[in-house]
Amino acid sequence: MNDSCLIYTGERSSFLRGECPVNICEIQGLTRDYGKGRGIFDLSFSIQQGEIFGFLGPNGAGKTTTIRHLMGFLKPVKGSCRIKGMDCWKNRADIQKNLGYIPGEMAFFDDMTGAEFLSFMAKYRKMKASGRKQELLDRFELDERVKLKKMSKGMKQKVGIVTAFMHDPDILILDEPTSGLDPLMQSRFIELVLEEKARGKTILMSSHMFEEVERTCHRVAIIRNGRLAATDSVDALKAAQVKKYVITLESEDSASAFAGEGLQVSAVSQNRVTVTVQNDIKELISVMNRYPVTNISAPNQSLEEIFMQYYGGDRS
Amino acid sequence: MMNWTLYKRGMQGIWKMLVIFCAVLTMYFTIIVSMFDPALGSVLDEFAKAMPDLMAVVGMTPASGELVSFMAAYLYGFLMLVFPMVFSILSANKLIARHVDRGSMTYLVAAPVRRTTVAFTQMKVMGTGLFALVFYASMLGIVTCELSFPGELAVGTFLLLNAGVLCLQLFIGGICFLSSCFFNDSKYAVGVGAGIPALGFIIQMMANAGKELENAKYATFFTLFDSDGIIAGEAGAYAGMAVLFIGAVALFAAAIAVFSKKDLHI
Repeated sequence: MNDSCLIYTGERSSFLRGECPVNICEIQGLTRDYGKGRGIFDLSFSIQQGEIFGFLGPNGAGKTTTIRHLMGFLKPVKGSCRIKGMDCWKNRADIQKNLGYIPGEMAFFDDMTGAEFLSFMAKYRKMKASGRKQELLDRFELDERVKLKKMSKGMKQKVGIVTAFMHDPDILILDEPTSGLDPLMQSRFIELVLEEKARGKTILMSSHMFEEVERTCHRVAIIRNGRLAATDSVDALKAAQVKKYVITLESEDSASAFAGEGLQVSAVSQNRVTVTVQNDIKELISVMNRYPVTNISAPNQSLEEIFMQYYGGDRS
Repeated sequence: MMNWTLYKRGMQGIWKMLVIFCAVLTMYFTIIVSMFDPALGSVLDEFAKAMPDLMAVVGMTPASGELVSFMAAYLYGFLMLVFPMVFSILSANKLIARHVDRGSMTYLVAAPVRRTTVAFTQMKVMGTGLFALVFYASMLGIVTCELSFPGELAVGTFLLLNAGVLCLQLFIGGICFLSSCFFNDSKYAVGVGAGIPALGFIIQMMANAGKELENAKYATFFTLFDSDGIIAGEAGAYAGMAVLFIGAVALFAAAIAVFSKKDLHI
């Protein structure tokens, strides 16, 4: 072992001494200005070996542009990006040997069936056998005999997933990989990602949903208007996250009484009360016990909300 | 430099088009050759005498009573210029620009295959198609002539004429392919890839038509393919062929370089 390093365990201010992490992917000062404030500006971050890195941002924030640079589709105008020490533009073909990619938008050769496309890709990549293809097809219950043109969005997404994973690459770049998948398949995909994580794969996963990233990633970068807003561990983001609950009571009277209990109430409408909780969920539970509660739900929070909470409402 | 899987895929994509083009060529070749009459001059020559201007526009001017000149005038003045040109326009777009436009190029470049290999392979597909078309036309010409007029066709000269047409078509193909590699948008790729050769062809038609417009021939690369000169064995005609061929090589090389250096927004 070389020098030992302090390893961030994912909890705030908690480090362990261990082997130095190897940066698989390094982005430095990456800039591409499309004008009118669109593009990416001075992005810098790195992804360590064996890490699942979430890349979060609303639509149009610059996630795909960054990924296109990593894939060697775009030449950096300013700054650089490297994977395994190799330049993403100059050494793109070498990098691709050990990389799997799910594009943000699926476009295939429409006249092929799924099976024809997968075997084309396997041969095109010069794979010796079909790799993990069959296992992945079974896992995602994909009927590969259908023409790609006739496939639904979800089916196309599955073909994309199989293509990205079938050659068992060490690095995976996944651009909104679960879009179009139904909830069952989304969770199968997350299982797959967690398995790959256990096998030591390095994964960059972009998303516009915090929940998706929350279940899989170690660290997240949040990108906003083309600029890196934050890079932090998922746990730190979660700790800062303010949970929101909607409690439905039997009557409007009990709702207004409930709202007067000294909890952080953000809205009351008819018999429904919206409560925000930072840390102390027990207090809410004990209050709920004393009231005729008929339902409780926790609506999904948008990335924007989480972001605002993380920065204490400072949107600038 | 070449990916066989992609090459096979490309050939699958163009063979139907090739079959249709070959079928149409077969029809024209048999009809036109049957109009040749070694003793009396042909029916077409009568047309040419009756309507010299119109026939001249499409390059149909009888040179001499020989079969090879007859074919050069009536098949290699229009048909063999336009048909492979249309093939080039369609296939060049299909092989590169359409993949970039629709996004399916993603899968070709998100693999351990160099972009130069992708472009080189697609170029080979197009080259194979053009070669197949001209080769088929050569064989077709020889066979139809031998069946109708045994021994009349100067086969060597005819093959040279086909080599000339191949050089011209490779040059046109180079323009289409460069345009396909340059533009990210299919409609611009086709617009420019079809526009430049079409303009060249129209200028040639104008130059053929009128004496006052004759100098227009210096404004089009079609002039470099001089079928009468090739048949007469003129050095200038051979030089034209060589220029076209070298030009084609340069155009394809530029196309590959452009494709491997450009930003792909896919």
